[in-house]
Amino acid sequence: MRTGIAVFACLGSAMLLSACGEQPQTIAAKPGQSAAKEGDKPYNNDLFKNDKNAWQLQLRARADHQNEYKRVN
Amino acid sequence: MARMKFICDAERCIECNGCVTACKNEHDVPWGVNRRRVVTLNDGIVGAERSISVACMHCSDAPCQAVCPVNCFYKTEDGVVLHDKDLCIGCGYCFYACPFGAPQFPQAGAFGLRGKMDKCTFCAGGPEKDNSKAEIEKYGRNRLSEGKLPACAEMCSTKALLAGDGDVLSDIYRERVMRRGRGGDLWGHATAYGRPDTKPAGAALPTAPAVAQPAAQKS
Repeated sequence: MRTGIAVFACLGSAMLLSACGEQPQTIAAKPGQSAAKEGDKPYNNDLFKNDKNAWQLQLRARADHQNEYKRVN
Repeated sequence: MARMKFICDAERCIECNGCVTACKNEHDVPWGVNRRRVVTLNDGIVGAERSISVACMHCSDAPCQAVCPVNCFYKTEDGVVLHDKDLCIGCGYCFYACPFGAPQFPQAGAFGLRGKMDKCTFCAGGPEKDNSKAEIEKYGRNRLSEGKLPACAEMCSTKALLAGDGDVLSDIYRERVMRRGRGGDLWGHATAYGRPDTKPAGAALPTAPAVAQPAAQKS
């Protein structure tokens, strides 16, 4: 009888505690995880001569040009 | 610099598919692969029809990158999500993970065999040497290294599709919304650019004006 109660208590507690072992199942990209070889910097060429600022200014001017309110008015 | 982003203004898109054509032409995209496409909702319902141009949104926390079993994705310092076709095994996990249906798979042989994944590169090429033959063949042209923005956005006749630095785009869009006084919601923006710990704002359809529905809708 005692053995039965002990076994029942063990099984019961194991069942009750089983949820405590659940691991989070969400994933997210981790920086530095990629196995890909990364390409050249887009400003490291003959046109921009590794001048990141010049490249950024050029792209900003292009992006600004999409605003027709600025172009028209 | 902030991050490179696309936004599409559904108030302006006229479903001309100019962006789709520009992309196909610029990168010699093969038949059956659409890096960009135009989706129309409420087609034919007067006043409620909206079109939006969809491609890879270069997510801040890209789910494709998270699920890739071979870790072939990488992000440039400007926030452009790219992948290495030499590593891709064409498993298709990224396709299931992407909320925008951006990853595309060319048919590589008989029996529906899938090729390596292909997607919008923000006209930034890939990991090969910039503007090399290998890069152009695998990923298309690298306009970013020429100081140009993606061809789809630069080609857009109504300037519904905007590309570039997120801060500049925000300024342009804010000015537009202020001038026209409506259309502040951007579809897919919260999904693509929201932080992972925040709930998407739920970009709802703009309320349709009370107009007579077409006959097919009534029955």
